[in-house]
Order: sequence, then structure tokens, then C-alpha cells
Amino acid sequence: MIPEIGHILLISHLVLSFMGGILPLAAIYSKNDFLSIPTKRLSVFLFFLILVPFLVLIYSFLIDDFSVAYVSQNSNTNLPNYYKLAATWGAHEGSLLLWILAMNGWLIAFMFFNNSKDKDYISTVFSISCQVIFAFSLFTLFTSNPFERILPIPPLSGADLNPSLQDIAFTVHPPLLYFGYSGLMIPFAISVAAMLFSKDTKEWASNSRPWTLMSCSFLTLGIALGSWWAYYELGWGGWWFWDPVENAAFIPWLLSVALFHSLIASESRGVFGKWSILLSIFAFATSLLGTFLVRSGILTSVHAFALDPERGLFILGILAFFIIGSLFIYSIKDFENETTPSYELTSKEFGFLLNNLLLVVLAVSILFGTIFPLIYEAITDGKQISVGAPYFEVILFPFALALGLLQGFALYLSWGTSSSFKFLPRLLIESISIFVLILIILFILFDNLHLTSFATIFLSSWILMGTLQINKNKNLNYWRFLRKRAAVTFAHSGMAILTLGVAVVSSYSLEKEIILAPDDSVEFGNQTILFKNTEDIMGPNYFSKSATMSFSDGSNFYDVLTEKRTYSPSGQLTTEAGIKTEIFQDLYISMGDNLEADIWSFKVLIKPFIRWIWLGALMIAIGSLLGGIKRVRKT
Amino acid sequence: MNPIRKQRLYALIAILIGSLLATWLVVSALSENMNLFYSPTEIKQANLDQGTLIRAGGMVKAGSIIKSKDSLDVSFTVTDYQNDLLIKYKGILPDLFAENAGVVVRGNLTPEGDFLAIEVLAKHDENYMPPEVAKLLDSKK
Repeated sequence: MIPEIGHILLISHLVLSFMGGILPLAAIYSKNDFLSIPTKRLSVFLFFLILVPFLVLIYSFLIDDFSVAYVSQNSNTNLPNYYKLAATWGAHEGSLLLWILAMNGWLIAFMFFNNSKDKDYISTVFSISCQVIFAFSLFTLFTSNPFERILPIPPLSGADLNPSLQDIAFTVHPPLLYFGYSGLMIPFAISVAAMLFSKDTKEWASNSRPWTLMSCSFLTLGIALGSWWAYYELGWGGWWFWDPVENAAFIPWLLSVALFHSLIASESRGVFGKWSILLSIFAFATSLLGTFLVRSGILTSVHAFALDPERGLFILGILAFFIIGSLFIYSIKDFENETTPSYELTSKEFGFLLNNLLLVVLAVSILFGTIFPLIYEAITDGKQISVGAPYFEVILFPFALALGLLQGFALYLSWGTSSSFKFLPRLLIESISIFVLILIILFILFDNLHLTSFATIFLSSWILMGTLQINKNKNLNYWRFLRKRAAVTFAHSGMAILTLGVAVVSSYSLEKEIILAPDDSVEFGNQTILFKNTEDIMGPNYFSKSATMSFSDGSNFYDVLTEKRTYSPSGQLTTEAGIKTEIFQDLYISMGDNLEADIWSFKVLIKPFIRWIWLGALMIAIGSLLGGIKRVRKT
Repeated sequence: MNPIRKQRLYALIAILIGSLLATWLVVSALSENMNLFYSPTEIKQANLDQGTLIRAGGMVKAGSIIKSKDSLDVSFTVTDYQNDLLIKYKGILPDLFAENAGVVVRGNLTPEGDFLAIEVLAKHDENYMPPEVAKLLDSKK
């Protein structure tokens, strides 16, 4: 009975979001007040109509209601309660509910905290958002209903939640990512409404900027958590694989970063209006495209959602409707009477233009590499290829280099006029000093300098000093200035730290596969690794063979536990890596195969500065969140 | 030139240079890092260079997995139910590698006509089949 309540409310949500998508627009264009509805209250109501089904689904998981097909496919009685909760959004149907919930959450936030006084315009944003929400609601009910029942005889126990998803990072990673994806709905709706109401560029850009920043923040967190999860859960110590699913999140991230930078110029100077509109549309479109690529199963990916071509077509339909619709409005809109202020070649505007050009071309190149296997298959009639990680690395490097160089001095540029480059010698000296300092530290830590990492390490010092020194010429208290610019300072230094992490981890990592018997030890880097003993562990829903390993640098000893788990009932194997985290490096070991008796193979890795990557990402997320919240409150 | 025109010109030049460079980069990177997928049958038919990095895949034959006792060497046979291909690999196999399951490997052919894998691809999900392998098996069954 309970699941039916969820189902019915979901249907009401569908109907109501449809009305929300139509009525306010009808009221505005027919000038008929009879049709107008209280949009603020409706947004809250819609939120509850999706929150309750979501809670119902959680409840069904917690009480092991295996008559609900989705529950029986993704849970079983032995699954710890905590993971039953995570299982709610662990697969396709439930994750869609969460997605819709997130969209409704954004919509409420927007309705209550937007900084516009134009009621009709806000209602239009509401209406367009409702149309998006309606499309997702329709999609869920018709192709992916989480409340489908197995009746009259429900199974006694369920299958299982994919063991590699039974994990803490995984519990929070999808919600954050979905919040990021779905948040891009708001800038999209704003840009369409701005066209319909011929809003001044500065005005709509200021409406859109906080929401873009906040979505970007959630996307950053979601992606970083996914990377962290892959690092320790997959047992091979990689942190980014250029898997289509990762790219599907990375592309909207790049576009949202481009968008909020472009919005800064739009809001401050009234330039790039049309461009910002297009970018809003495409940032939103790529977040849908990502969903399509992941859920339709047309690309080879390590992420396995239950694949269904029908779902793929449906998402493609949604995507086509919103892109064609918004581009149609764009094409018939008369932008001609808009005047834009002019700017010089070395002005801040031009800096933003370059920033956007680089980010967007990078995003397109990555998108191209991601979908190229599909194109190739189509033009060669079924020949299959894959585009390897090296492609993306080759592409990323020059763009990252150019973006980083630009980022270092972008904050010094002045609006409109030609900038003075008097800051340059000082910035150069400072970043070279920091660069040398980092090299010295690396040499002390690892007795080694890798030439290949020099360019990237310099880049990170350049970005860092460019961020921290910007104020020196101005007659302002340094700390007060930094506080005032906390958002950009956080985000840009985060980028510097992330760059440093990537530079060091990609050239200083050590990796080896070894075979050890208990009490054997092996030298690795500056560490001695001792295989102490094995032990059998019974977990709540798994059996594990574990090995205690000891790392020693000569004076300190540190034990880690690595496990080979066999989950019941699926019988799936997973490897739990043993990791010792230090500030400057991770010592990482994962269990391989049992060769004979107690002899095992292991994979050992030293990952210097790997934590800095996620630390940097966290700072970027904090920075953009600060920037977003600050601008929401400005109203 | 009036300022607006000048600024449009700058933007246009930047966009042109940017997209030309990117196109060149994409094309060259793609031609070097594109791995074709072959089934065991296609490998028999195509006359492949030994050095070429390719991907191959199929079903892991039951009973074909041979692990060395004192090293990480392992060999196994993949099949598309018409032809077999012997795969040699040195390293730890992914958790989801198993008999009668689909697998995709990346590497090159040896002079003996075997396949030397540098990577055996892991998937998150036991029921998951790489699309290449799924299509292959569909067409052969």
C-alpha cells in the first residue's frame, strides 16, 4: 500500500508540474489573471510531491519490501541499513527521483531568493523550470518507475546493491553530482526567460550568476568525490580514467565554469550577452547529454546502469525539445538594437573571451573524443574503436597550460581599456621563487626531480601568486582585501593546488606488482613493506580474506589492512585497498591473487600529493559556493 | 577602424586561431590514440601488424585460465564461438574477471599469433557486458 502512495504522489507531481509549466505562461501572454497561480507556493508543493515518494522509496528499502521491483533488484536483507539508504539512489530509477528532487530544491531556492522584482519574468523562469521537471517526471513514470511491483508473489530476498557501491563516498557522491547537474536548469530557464522578456544583459546576468556558481560548486564536489571513490575502491590507485561517464560530468563542469566567467563580464560590463545565453543553453544541454550517454548504454563505460535503448531515446527527445525550443527563441529574437560597450585587446573583457574560448573548445574536444566511437561506428558500418586516455591527456595539456597562464594575470587586467603590465616583473619573480621552493621541497621529500613536471609546477605557482598578490599595488588592507575577494581567492588558489597535485602525482608516482609470502618483506621507494599475516573476516554481507601489511621508512611502522571481499548473495569480488595517508603522499596497497597456500600478489603504489588534487577541488567548490551565496544574499 | 569593429576582429581572430589549433590537436591526438576493436575471428582474417595497439575481446573460455605459481604471468583464451585467441598478460587481473564472462583486452599481437595484453579492462558490475562483446556474441550465437 505504501509504495502506491508514492506512485500516486508521483503522478500528481507529473500533473502539477505540467500545469506549472503551462499556466503561468498562459496567464502572462493572455493577460488573463484568472489563469495565474501562486508560483512560490506551487514550488513548495511540488517539492513535497516529490519528497514524499522519495521518502517512501527509502522506507521500502529499509523494511525490505521486495515486492517493489527496484528494491528487490538493488537490496537484500543482509545489506546494512546505511547502504539500504544509499541503494535508494544507487541505480537508475531511484537516482532519477533524487534528480527531480534536486531540481525542485533548486526551484524553491530560486523562487524565494532570486534578486529580481519583475514578477512575470520570475514566473516565466518558474514555468520553464517546471517544463524541465515535468519532462523528467514523465520520463520516470513511463520508462523508469521506481514503484513498479512484483505481484502477487514477491521474491523472498533481493539481489544486491553492487558491492563496489557499498561505500561512504558513494552515498554522497551521486546526490552532490545530481545537485550540480540539475542546478544548471536555473541558468537555462533564466536565459530563456531573459530572451522572452528582452532583459538587459547586466540584469539577467546578475540573476543567473549565483545559481551558476552554486551548481558549479556542487558539480565540482560531486566529481571530486567520484574521483576519490574510484581511487580507493577500484584498487588500482587511479584518480581519473577519462571514462565516458567522467567526461559526461566534466564537460558540463567546463561549460559552467565558462558560463559564470562570462556572466561576470556580462553583469559588470553588459558584454557577451548573446554568448552567455548560448552558453547557458549548452551547459544545461550537456548535463542532459551526459545523462543520455550514461543511461542509454551506447558508450562503453565502467559505470553500469541498467541499460535500455528506450530510455536513451526518451532522454534524447527531452534534450532535443529543450535545445531546439530555446535555440528557436534565440534565432527569432531580435538582438540588433542592443549596444555593447567596446573593449581593448588587453582588457579584462578580452581575458574573459579567451577564458571562454579555451574552456569551450576544450569541452568540445573532449565531447568529440567521447562520442567519436559512435561516429566511427556509424560511418564505418559497425567497426568498433575506443579512444584511449592518452587522447584526452594530449588534448587537455595545451589548454590547461594556456588557461593557467591566463589565470595567473587575468585578475590584474582592467575593464575596457588596455591594461598596464607593470605587475608582470614582480609576479614573475614571485612565482619563480615559489616554483624553486616547491622544487626544493620535492627534492627533499623524494630525492628526485622530474623535468616533465616542471611546466605544470611552474603553472601552479604562477596561478597561486597571481591570485594572492593581486592586491599589493592597491591601498587596501591585505587581509580585508582577501576577505572581500574570498570567493575568487579560494577558487583560484584551489586551482593552483589542484594543478600542483596533478603535476606531482603524475610524475612522482611509483607502482609495482609484487608477490609475497607471510613474513616476507620487499623494498619499495623509500619504504619497506612487510606482509604480516592473513585473516578471515565475516562482514554483515560479505566474507573477506584480509592481509595485514606493514609500511616502514626505517624508523616508523604503520600497519594497513587490505581485503579481498566476496559479497553474498551476488558472489561478486571486490578489493579494499589499504591506504596510509600522509600530507605529502599516500602509501597504497591492494591485494591481488592467491598464488598458492598463503602466497599472495599485491599491487603497491606511492602516490605523492594525491590528496592535494581533492583539496584543490574542495577549495574550488567552497570558493564558488561562497561567490554564489554572497550574490544571493545581495538582494 | 571603429572600436566595435576592431573588437569583433580581435574576437574573430582569437576564435579562428583557437579552433584551428584545436582541430589540428584533435585530429593528431585521435589518429594516435584510437584503438580498433577486433574479435578473435577478425584477428585471424585481418593481417595485422604485430606492433599495432588494438583491443580484442570475447568470452573467457571455461578452464582456459592458467596462472603461474611464482609470477604474475597469466594466460587465458577468449572466444567468439568461432575462433579462439590466446591472451597473455602479466599483472593482477581485475576482480570481475571470470570464466564465461566477457572481457576486453588492450595490447598487441605476438609473432606466434597470440595476444600480449597490457591492460585487461575491469567493469563495476558482474552483469555488465562491454557493448563490443555483447554485440559480438549476439551476432555469433
